[in-house]
Amino acid sequence: MATLSQQIVNGLVQGALIGLIALGYTMVYGIVQLINFAHGEVFMVGAFGAHFAFLYLLPEGVSWYVALPVMVVAAVAASVAVSVAMERLAYRPLRGSHKLAPLITALGVSILLQEVVRVFYPHATSPLPFPRAFANGHLVMGTVSVLWTGVLALAVAPLLAWALHLYVERSRLGRAMRATAQDPDTARLMGINPDRVMLATFVIGAVLAGIGAVLYGIHYTQIDTMIGFQNGIFAFTAAVLGGIGNIRGAMLGALCIGLVKSLAGQYAWGGAQYDYVWVFVLLILVLMFRPQGFLGRSEGVRA
Amino acid sequence: MTQVTTRPPEVRPVSDRRTWRPVAGAVVVLAGALLPWASVVLPAGAYPDLATLQFFDAPYLVTGFRLHLVLLGLAAALLPRARRSVGIGVLIIALVHTGFLIGYGALSIGGPVALVGGALVVWSGRALPAPELKLPGRAVAWLALLAAFAALLWLVTQTLTAGGQSRATNSYGAAEFLAFCGFGLALIGSLSAYGILTWLAALTERHRLFAFTVMLACALMLPLTEAGTGYWMTVAATIGIYAATATGLNIVVGLAGLLDLGYVAFLGLGAFTAANLAHTLPFPLAALAGAAAAGVFGVVVGAPTLRVRGDYLAIVTLAFGEIFFRAAQNNIGGLTGGANSIPGIPQITMFGQDFNEPLGALPAGFLYYVVAVLMVAGAVAVLLNLKSSRMGRAWRAIKEDEDVARAMGVRTGRAKILAFLVGAMLAGLAGAVFAHKMGTVGYESFDFSESVTLLAAVVLGGMGTVPGAIVGASLLFVLPEKLREFSDYRLMLFGLALILIMRFRPQGLVSS
Repeated sequence: MATLSQQIVNGLVQGALIGLIALGYTMVYGIVQLINFAHGEVFMVGAFGAHFAFLYLLPEGVSWYVALPVMVVAAVAASVAVSVAMERLAYRPLRGSHKLAPLITALGVSILLQEVVRVFYPHATSPLPFPRAFANGHLVMGTVSVLWTGVLALAVAPLLAWALHLYVERSRLGRAMRATAQDPDTARLMGINPDRVMLATFVIGAVLAGIGAVLYGIHYTQIDTMIGFQNGIFAFTAAVLGGIGNIRGAMLGALCIGLVKSLAGQYAWGGAQYDYVWVFVLLILVLMFRPQGFLGRSEGVRA
Repeated sequence: MTQVTTRPPEVRPVSDRRTWRPVAGAVVVLAGALLPWASVVLPAGAYPDLATLQFFDAPYLVTGFRLHLVLLGLAAALLPRARRSVGIGVLIIALVHTGFLIGYGALSIGGPVALVGGALVVWSGRALPAPELKLPGRAVAWLALLAAFAALLWLVTQTLTAGGQSRATNSYGAAEFLAFCGFGLALIGSLSAYGILTWLAALTERHRLFAFTVMLACALMLPLTEAGTGYWMTVAATIGIYAATATGLNIVVGLAGLLDLGYVAFLGLGAFTAANLAHTLPFPLAALAGAAAAGVFGVVVGAPTLRVRGDYLAIVTLAFGEIFFRAAQNNIGGLTGGANSIPGIPQITMFGQDFNEPLGALPAGFLYYVVAVLMVAGAVAVLLNLKSSRMGRAWRAIKEDEDVARAMGVRTGRAKILAFLVGAMLAGLAGAVFAHKMGTVGYESFDFSESVTLLAAVVLGGMGTVPGAIVGASLLFVLPEKLREFSDYRLMLFGLALILIMRFRPQGLVSS
C-alpha cells in the first residue's frame, strides 16, 4: 500500500512536468494542425538555458530566491528564441506544401537542435548535473514522501494549464486563436492576422516548456540532450490521450501518462525496464481506438 | 484607325552582353589553378604525413584537383550554359582547399584567385532552360546508355576512392574527397544544363530492360576497378544493404505516402531472426525466415493504418519502432543478446566458398558485394513492377487523397497493409544479409537515428523515384565513411539537410 501511494505521487509529479510540454503540443496542433515534433527539443533547450544561467551568469552561492527566477527567465528566453526561429525559418515557408513536408521538417529541426546542443554546449555529451532548489527537503505525509520540488511542480503545472485555458477562453488573443483554429481564411477576413496568431501560439508553448524545463531540472537534478525527445513523446501521447487541441485534456492526459509509467514500472510485466514500452502501447491503443481522446474535439482551442 | 502592332518580346542571344565576365572568370580560374597554392614551402615531413601536400607548393603542377580546376576553367570559357554549375564547382574546390590550408596554418595564393574566378563565373552564368534533345534510334541509344553507365561507374569509383581509405596515411583525405565532390557536382550540373541528363533518363525509360542490364553489369564490374580492394568492397556492400532497405522504405513512404518512423525495426527483426537461426539453417532459409518475420511484424505495424492516417500513423510507427528497440535492448526472451549483442554469427558459406574470402583474383568481400548488388537490383525490380501495377496506382491514389481513392473503389486497407508487408520483407531480407556480413548484431544498430537516416536517404534522393533511394542511401552512408573527422556533426547535418530539402527542393535530388 505504501509503495502504491508512493508510486502514484511519483507518477503525478512526472505527469505534471510532462503536462507543461503537452500544452505546447496541443496548442500548436489545435491551431496549425502540425505535430511539432521539435517541441520536446524546445523544452530541452530551455533546460540548458537555465543550466547556462546558473553556471555562467549567476554568482556562486546566490540565494534561491534570486537564482530560481533568473533561471526561469533564462529558460523561457532560450525556449522562446528557438521556438520563434523554428516557426519563422522552418515551418512558415512550408504552409500549403506537401502534407508530409512539415512533419519531416519537424523531425529535422528536432535532430538539429539535439545535436547542436550536444556538440556545442560544454560537456553536454554526457548527462549534466542540474542544481536542486530548496536543498533536499521532503514533504512527508504518512508513508508517502515527496520532494518539495515535486510539490512545486504539482502546484504550478495544473495552475498554468488552468490559466491558459482561461486565457484562451476569455482574452482577445484567445478568441483570435480559436477563430484561426476553426478556419484561418475566414479568420483573416475578420481582421485577424493568422501569422501572428500562430507565432503567438508557438511563443506560449515555448514559455510553458521553459518553465517546465526548470521544474524538471530542479526535480530530477540531471539533464541531457535526450530529455526533449523522450518527454516530447510522452507529452505528445498525453496530448492525444486528453484530446488533441484541448488544453485541460492535455494536462489530464499527462497526469494519466505519469501514472501509467510509474505504476507499470512497478507492477507490470518487465518492470522498470519496460515502463516506456507500456506508454507506447497505450499511445498506439489510444490512436487506434479513441483518436479524439478523453475530452474529444468539441471544446477547447480546436473548436 | 491606328493599327496596333504587337512586337514579339525581344529575345537576346546568350552571348551578346556581359561577355567579359565569363572570359575573365575563366582566365582567373585558370590562373588560380596554375599559381602555387601555398605562400610558403610547407614544412616537409616524413613520407606518410605530408607527402600529398606536393600539390600545394609546386607551381604549374597540374594534377589532382588542379587538373579539375583547369578543366572547369576551360568549360567556363567554352560552355555558356554550364557556367553556373561550373562556377559553383570551382567555388567548392577552392573553398575546401583554402580552408584546409588555413587550418594547416599556411596562406594560399592560388586559392583566393580561384575563388574570385569561381565567383565571376557564377555571376556571369544565367539559368537557361535546358534544350530538348531528340531521342535517337535504338543503336545510338544503346551506345549512349553504355557510355553513360561506364561514365557513371568511373564517377562512382573515383568518388569512392577519392582521398584514400585511411586517415593515417593521408591527413588530407577529407579535403581531397570534398573537392572531388565539387568537381563531380560541376560535371553533373553541366550535363543537366545541356539537357543530357533528361535525355539519358528518357532513354533509360524507353529501353528499360537494356538499361537495367547494363547498370547491373556496371555495378558488378566495380571490383575490377580501382575500388576493387577488400576495404572498398566491404564499404560498398554495407551501402548496398542500406540502399536495399531504403528502397523498401521508398515503397512505403514514396509510393504509398505512409510515413514510417520506425522502419529500421524491420531491418533489426530480419537481422535478429537470421542471427538466431544462423547455426541451424543454411543462409537462404535463414534469410527467408528473417524476411517472413519482418513481414509479419510489418502487417502488425500496418494494421493500425486501417484506422489511423497521416501524422498519427507516423507516430504509431515511431511507437512500434521504440517498442522494438526497448525490447531488443532488454534482451527479450533471450533472443537479442541485449547489451552483449549476438556475437559469432557465421559468414555465409555456399558451394564450399566462404563469402568473406577472396574468390580467385577477386578481392575479399567481393561475394558480399555481389549479394548486396543483387539485393538492390531485386528491390528495384519489385519497386518498378509495383509502381506501374494496379497496386501502384492504388497507392498513388491513396497518397493523393485517401477518401477519394476509397470512393473510386480502391480497397485502401488492403493496399496500405500490402505496402507495409512488401517494405518490411525487403528490409528483413537486407537485415539477414546484414547479420551474416557483420558477424555480430546488437540493438544499437537499430535506434531511432537509423530510422531517421533511412528516411533522410529517401527524402534526399527523391520520394518515389527508383534511383532516389539508392543515391540518397549511398550519399548518407559514404559521407560518414569519408568524413570521419566530422563524425560528430553527422546527425546534425542530416537534420539540417531534412529541413533544407523540404524547404528548397521537396522533390529531392532526383525528381521524377
